[in-house]
Amino acid sequence: MSKFSNEYLRGLVLEDRVHRSLYTDPEIFELEMERIFGRVWLYVGHQSQIPNPGDYFCTTIARQPMVLTRDRDGAVHVLFNRCGHRGSRVLNEECGNARIFTCMYHGWSFHPNGELAGVPMRRDFPAETLVDPQFGMVHLPRVESHRGFVFASLDPSVMPLRDYLGEAIRGIDELVDRAPAGEIELWAGCHRYEYRGNWKLQFENMADMYHPAAAHASTVGPDGRQFRRRSGGKGGDAPFFAENGEAIVAQTGVRGFRNGHSSEASLFREEQSGGVWDEYRALLVAKHGEERTRDILRNRRHSMTIFPSVDILIAQTSVRVIRPLAVDRTEVQVYPVKLKGAPPQISIDVVRFVNITHAAASFIQSDDLEAFERATQGFATSGTDWVLVARGLGNEIDEGSGVQFGDRSSEVGQRAQHYAWRDLMSAD
Amino acid sequence: MSNVQLAQLQEFIEHEAELLDEQRFDEWLELFADDGFYWVPARPGQESPLTHVSLFYDDKPTLKIRVERLKHPKIHSQTPRSKTVRVLSNFRMVPVADGSSEHCVTSKFVMLEDRPGVERRLFGGRYIHRIRAAADGLRIVSKRVDLTNCDQFFSSLTQPF
Repeated sequence: MSKFSNEYLRGLVLEDRVHRSLYTDPEIFELEMERIFGRVWLYVGHQSQIPNPGDYFCTTIARQPMVLTRDRDGAVHVLFNRCGHRGSRVLNEECGNARIFTCMYHGWSFHPNGELAGVPMRRDFPAETLVDPQFGMVHLPRVESHRGFVFASLDPSVMPLRDYLGEAIRGIDELVDRAPAGEIELWAGCHRYEYRGNWKLQFENMADMYHPAAAHASTVGPDGRQFRRRSGGKGGDAPFFAENGEAIVAQTGVRGFRNGHSSEASLFREEQSGGVWDEYRALLVAKHGEERTRDILRNRRHSMTIFPSVDILIAQTSVRVIRPLAVDRTEVQVYPVKLKGAPPQISIDVVRFVNITHAAASFIQSDDLEAFERATQGFATSGTDWVLVARGLGNEIDEGSGVQFGDRSSEVGQRAQHYAWRDLMSAD
Repeated sequence: MSNVQLAQLQEFIEHEAELLDEQRFDEWLELFADDGFYWVPARPGQESPLTHVSLFYDDKPTLKIRVERLKHPKIHSQTPRSKTVRVLSNFRMVPVADGSSEHCVTSKFVMLEDRPGVERRLFGGRYIHRIRAAADGLRIVSKRVDLTNCDQFFSSLTQPF
């Protein structure tokens, strides 16, 4: 039972502002773990991380150790990473391959599908205890995938994944359709960064087209252009300022979706081209024809942010996973994506560019991390309780299917996140 | 290789560390050959910067952008600036191919980073320098930094190691 009434929680998110305790109150954070992270679909990993039977990938969702596995028949499972005997975490490497998973404490072992495989000195246990599946490695109540992206929910009664994603599913498709083979692979490890601040700061930032002119001023050269952030002879970099002096990024639109998802429109106007890009494009044309290829490569979305766990970076061809640790501590992983069937150079370029855009040492992310930490310091002030998300309020265009579009770096994406937060947090 | 050569290379590497500690980034950039690069792998024993992410993997044009940004008055993640101090030790020559004009030197380092308002950070690991003797002096062909904690989560990293 929460110490907060549902009415009180609803009152923390107004139409145009949110209460600072969303970012600072440890009890609100605990309730988020229960009412948000315990109830919606959370990204676990990608099937390409476990290509072979016996492969496993350990992760954490809602602060609980989990493991994504592939069994001997090729089926994918998401298990709590916990021994059915006395509760120890079973798998301790981030990833690997094993025929059975053996607990280090008393030597119980489990099949990759979670079933109990072996118990040392078995006959000393009551026989009926050991057939109970809860003493194997327990499955997450719900697991569903879309194009290799595996999501799980701790809530057995959660709506189907497709319904939860809604129109946001198109962001996943936009990224994966760019692979000539129609599949992606997380192939090059991940960047790992952390900050002293609430997880929602990262989420708001991923829907924020308003901040780059100020926050990322140090990335703009004397010629008024930002450094090249993706490959291709054309379409790889872009002028930063429009003729009227506004940052072009801040003239760009944002969408907010039902269930808290958000998407930034693309910064790029031109298709990437030149060198290996022409070879890549020809592969897409051979498979899909010119018209469909032009559609696939049209720069629609910069990113698609799926509340509250993952960001599909379309322009940077990568996947960002957000993990809340505490009310003021957050970990983030960024995985460069391989577009399967594309020339290898395309994927190598992605690795190199993500190093300078989204790593802890990158030109962009380091200033965002500074912004998150300064926000956390600012939230400690008591002069006002309110944090504003009013930009573009009232100018949204309802595109149907739960999608609201706001141009000129509208804060419509942040509002969608906070309205979803409010609705989840104020429901018993 | 004679000890004299190792002494020269050691002096060069210590000078490079001094430039970083003093934030003389333009002069640091000048130490790199035009085809040189600076690499901090993100996993122990990482074999390639092309097939796995790196904490840093900068060719010279990218390093130049990094240095320009470090000098930029609006670099918020360096307002206020960090102070660093490095201690280097255990210099060793690594054999290179006969007739090569390059030398390879490994060394160990510990680096402290202090920034007002931020907890003190401590980094350590191994440097592997490949250094070319050019007509106008020594140039870094590659500098690899193997951090002991390279596969951990990091808060903002602004200072080259």
